[in-house]
Amino acid sequence: MTHPFVLQLILSFLLMSFLGMEANAMNSADSQVGSISELVKLFDSTSCKECHKEIFDQWSKSHHARPLMGLDDQIFLKKYLKTGPLAVTDLNQVTNRSIPCFKCHLPQIRYASDAAVVEIVSAILDDNKETIRKLNIGCLVCHNEKGIVRGKPATNTLYGNKDIPDHPEFPVHKSGLLKDSLMCGQCHGLGPVLDYEHPVQCATLYGSYLHAYIPAGGTETCQECHMPDKNHYMPPNFNNRQEVSELLAKALTLDVKTLAYVFEPVEDWATPKIIVRTTITSVAGHRIPDG
Amino acid sequence: MDGTELFHQQRIYMPQAGDGSSAHMVLGPDKKLGLLRDTSIQPMSALIDNFEIPLQNNQSTVTIEVKLSYQPRPGNVYPIHTIVKEIYGVR
Repeated sequence: MTHPFVLQLILSFLLMSFLGMEANAMNSADSQVGSISELVKLFDSTSCKECHKEIFDQWSKSHHARPLMGLDDQIFLKKYLKTGPLAVTDLNQVTNRSIPCFKCHLPQIRYASDAAVVEIVSAILDDNKETIRKLNIGCLVCHNEKGIVRGKPATNTLYGNKDIPDHPEFPVHKSGLLKDSLMCGQCHGLGPVLDYEHPVQCATLYGSYLHAYIPAGGTETCQECHMPDKNHYMPPNFNNRQEVSELLAKALTLDVKTLAYVFEPVEDWATPKIIVRTTITSVAGHRIPDG
Repeated sequence: MDGTELFHQQRIYMPQAGDGSSAHMVLGPDKKLGLLRDTSIQPMSALIDNFEIPLQNNQSTVTIEVKLSYQPRPGNVYPIHTIVKEIYGVR
């Protein structure tokens, strides 16, 4: 008869080995998962909500929770993969590097095999929302994959604002990047994305932040405005129309001055007119609109 | 004041992208590469515009309505500000 303590040790060891395998896969460039379900599992962050429920709830309402779904629950990529420069005419030609949009809308794509990418592209073309909704920019994307920019993210590691060596599942290592605008700038755009066969240009917010906001004397980070009190909702949420209007009203003030007078540059040629002078002042950290 | 619209003008503030090979503005992330012109509202600065509205001599009261909105797509309007001013004739 096996002693209960021994059995418990064996079970613990098996569990740790299993978790270790997953973490290795998450960080190894050699690990290319073969399907959507494996990719979803590899970056599954649902266990985080057991302790970080409020943050998880905030995130789940954000665009990061549905990066391939556009406004009103539509798969925004479908139209681009059906017509235009990115149109997919032969699924056999689709590879991990075919769709530049995934670089930011699904950064974990680099762990996907060509077969997994074909499955994703097929789901997009088939308007399979149930499947596409499962792909997100969850906790592990920002707190591991994007948590450092020098070198590769470490195996079995999370990155955060402070060291938490005894954090459940994986230790948290401090990464200064998490509070820096560069963290967001990894995806929220400098300009043209030229490192693909078919280049694209989506968000240019970080370029505007670097080259307009900072030179104008701006001092705040993306996180200070879009993640106040570490809120992971990260507005704007373009599906919440009133909230977007209110956010824009906060960022942009409008002043209107009027002058009613008679313009008479030549005698007996008088034109009554009104001059309306509008002044829009922005306190945002980037151009508005962008993209 | 009889409700007649005397003047209507729209200004579009936006980054205007080219395709990297012509001077023709393009739309969509799959086509855009670089900028031809940028009239968007820049951070930490004021964007000033003037509108000149000619009047008829007999117009004594004019209502000015200025609307600022965000439109990611034509017809998809997110209102931002609306300012209304009454002007009681030219002095």
